[in-house]
Amino acid sequence: MRISKLFINRQVADHPMTRSIQSRLKLSAKIVQNAQQVYEAVSSAPDPVQQGKETLYLTQNRGAFLKSCPGTRHYTCCDYQILHIGSFCHMDCTYCVLQTYFHPPILQYFVNHEDLMAELDTVLGKATTKIRRIGTGEFTDSLIWELWTDVSRLLIQRFAAQKHAVLELKTKTTAIERLQNLNHNHKTIAAWSLNTDHIIHTQERATASLAARLKAAARCEAWGYPLAFHFDPLILYDGCEADYTRVIERLYSQVSADNIVWISLGTLRFPPSIKTVIQKRFPDSKIIYEEFIKGPDGKMRYFKPLRIKMYRKIVACIRDHAPNAVIYLCMEDDDVWRKSLGFIPDDIGGLPHMLDVSAARHCDLKLGE
Amino acid sequence: MDSKSSDDQDVSLDIPSGQSVRYQAIAQVDIDTDDFTFRITTRSGIEDLLGSIQKTGLIQPPVLIENPAGYTIVCGFRRIAACRKLGWTRLTARILEKTVDRFKAAQLSIADNAFQRSLNLVETSRALKLLDDFAPDQQQRREAAKALGLPINGSLSLAVKKICRLPLPVQEGILTDTINLSMALELGGLEPLTAEGLVRLFDQLKVGLNKQRELLLLLKEIAEREQITLPQLIAEKPLQEVLKTVEMDRAVKRQKVRSYLRQRRFPAISKAETEYRKWVKQLKLGNNIHLIPPKDFEGNTFGMTLRFSNRQDLSDLNKKIEEIIQHPALGKILD
Repeated sequence: MRISKLFINRQVADHPMTRSIQSRLKLSAKIVQNAQQVYEAVSSAPDPVQQGKETLYLTQNRGAFLKSCPGTRHYTCCDYQILHIGSFCHMDCTYCVLQTYFHPPILQYFVNHEDLMAELDTVLGKATTKIRRIGTGEFTDSLIWELWTDVSRLLIQRFAAQKHAVLELKTKTTAIERLQNLNHNHKTIAAWSLNTDHIIHTQERATASLAARLKAAARCEAWGYPLAFHFDPLILYDGCEADYTRVIERLYSQVSADNIVWISLGTLRFPPSIKTVIQKRFPDSKIIYEEFIKGPDGKMRYFKPLRIKMYRKIVACIRDHAPNAVIYLCMEDDDVWRKSLGFIPDDIGGLPHMLDVSAARHCDLKLGE
Repeated sequence: MDSKSSDDQDVSLDIPSGQSVRYQAIAQVDIDTDDFTFRITTRSGIEDLLGSIQKTGLIQPPVLIENPAGYTIVCGFRRIAACRKLGWTRLTARILEKTVDRFKAAQLSIADNAFQRSLNLVETSRALKLLDDFAPDQQQRREAAKALGLPINGSLSLAVKKICRLPLPVQEGILTDTINLSMALELGGLEPLTAEGLVRLFDQLKVGLNKQRELLLLLKEIAEREQITLPQLIAEKPLQEVLKTVEMDRAVKRQKVRSYLRQRRFPAISKAETEYRKWVKQLKLGNNIHLIPPKDFEGNTFGMTLRFSNRQDLSDLNKKIEEIIQHPALGKILD
């Protein structure tokens, strides 16, 4: 990762975490009063998105660290919770919604870990039978911060000390070295977003190769971490089905089926505004020229029969290797579930329940009655 | 003179004060007719001028500026061309000295056209560019534009200014009302040959802006996905067959072109729509029942509208609905 500019909010200029990150980065910093000054610096660049990937803003999160995953009533949501440690990512995936999610997007990291941990203490300390599935990999990649921070270690240790929640670290990197020798108590799931070599090569710039991701997953498994995988986004192209089949074969040749907590599938979807960004930033990318329709949530997604066909193929392939694999669809309706997986979440108590049960089994959580 | 144009009317143009002006008979060969620096008009025909000049002479002499080799035309491009066509080897012109303020000459040229008629978009663009090129500063440029009736609104004037830099076929598309400013600017981002092909296509089909946008998007996205150029795509046999069929009604052509492009861009969606229509046809809904599928077949909820005037109508529709419910085609539709 190449950070060329560092901005620090005045209020956290003397924070120990700020000093620690700055010393690791070895960059002089510009102290700013607020984010607006950073936005202005980034917005004036010829490619603000690229500039945002090279600009780190250290600040504090004044709001809640835990947020509900932004689902929609039109599609089945998994009731996931996002732990907001920071935002954006230095990797450069064509389809990344974060390119337009923040205005403008900048690498932003919250140094006030004391508030983060206090909030977690409150939430995880509650006497509850509800299982929480919490992840850091929605507004950012979970492990890109490993170079300069100890946030993963802090979180893994905190989650290890309770029995009602599981932490999912979702990544496209191989930055796992500092996960070794941590007492995770099976409460942290190491998760990778997977795609075909072709997609990684053409659409996921600066990410780890598939081979490297799978090797990292195997190492995490060896260190006792439960695993999860996300085939999201599944992208249509000539020969994609055969390529995804090979990815699944490679996955099961490297890790144990029994150690996989869940596998999610989600076909490419994006807000319409991303299309222009992709055309401008990735003129060679053709992924936006497939057959998309605008869903009731306003996002562009493949025409339904195309999605179903792809899901069925991938589900069948996964089931060949792991008949009991917990597979779920991200943001799809009952019709797609039934035609792709043969059941709808309500048949088994709902998607959150299905995932809670798997989390409980793999991560030694207490599942409420 | 019946057919007065901007170029030939007997108007009194104020030559800027303080500028040295003289009337002088000039040899045609000394006039640089290839220098279009001050040309505003998009009219190239001179037939309308020939008769009047022949009959009454050159009422309003052209305005020229001395240059080291001869004279540059400021006003009167068409008058000079007409005189040349009539075989005049000399004509009387008003001569501005070579030291004349070019900004004032530019305003003179614009006024010569703008005060006699409404400028079209290309001419307006040329006029704005002329002011841009010669105004000493923004303030004077803006004041001159306002005085000459040119657009001074930021975004509009910016857009209009671009027109005179667009490929000529695109400019011609504007002049013939085939495309509007918005589409012209969009086509301006394409290769000139591509833009020309599209203007020709729009002209052949006589489609409005919305349909132009739709066709352009379809064409662009097909070309991107299949990695071919737009001219290649437009030149393909299925499209050309439709476009070249002389006896085909233009509305039918439009429909066929759109349908072909849509099927190529969205093959699965188009196929589903065809299937849907086939099954609906089998239901024989009649004129009073209308089945509405979920938008893009994404949702799962269908709609139905019924038209009736009395109880008997409604009762008949009820029976028909019972038939529809039992019909195998409904199963296909709902699936």
